[in-house]
Amino acid sequence: MLALTRKAGERIVIGDDIVVTVVNIKGDNIRLTVEAPKEIKIYRGEIFDAIAEENKQAAFPKDLAELDMLKGPRGATVAKLPRA
Amino acid sequence: MKVKSTRFGELEVAEEQLFDFPYGIPGFPEEKTFVYLPHDAESPFSFLQSTTEANLTFLLADPFSFFKDYEFVIEDEVAKELGISQENPPQVFLIATVKEKLADMTVNLLAPIVINGVNHTGRQVILDKPEYSIRHKLFSDGLQAEEVKGGK
Repeated sequence: MLALTRKAGERIVIGDDIVVTVVNIKGDNIRLTVEAPKEIKIYRGEIFDAIAEENKQAAFPKDLAELDMLKGPRGATVAKLPRA
Repeated sequence: MKVKSTRFGELEVAEEQLFDFPYGIPGFPEEKTFVYLPHDAESPFSFLQSTTEANLTFLLADPFSFFKDYEFVIEDEVAKELGISQENPPQVFLIATVKEKLADMTVNLLAPIVINGVNHTGRQVILDKPEYSIRHKLFSDGLQAEEVKGGK
């Protein structure tokens, strides 16, 4: 692992086509911009970690004996989702 | 090919049941090929079984059977990568988590599994929709689908 100290306005270049710029620093918050090829996916770390963790929880489903009862939309109420 | 599954025993799997996940899925980056197993023709549930790890089985739910207004926009890069388009729309599934009882199962609305049924590739897409939970309870009252009112 490489650790670098940067000031506001300074950049890090990763490989040939990824540039991370420190835009500004206000208290605990650091604003970054990332320029990268579109096929490179960029996520907030905690969201990616939460999804990876949920996948691990989901990976070995238990007690599916009742699954046969669930024949889908015919019997079930269709739920509404929260909107933005 | 033969696939070992703790849940289903040894499966004889045809090529058309296999799906490539070139990036694995978050938490399981090395798992790049899964078998898609419908549960029952009438059921909104199905399974993804790892071809290399017998213990690794995901329970999937058809989102539209439960949430008729579930929707998201697939970014152009993801559509291109998977080879999906208006003419070849993707299939979408939610990963379900069952910890204790089936009635308490949750689904991950924020990160659906998006599959191209023609070229058999898929990926778990992380949406930019903070209103979607990664642990949304599917049933609030026994095995009745939950009614969520309002929202933000």
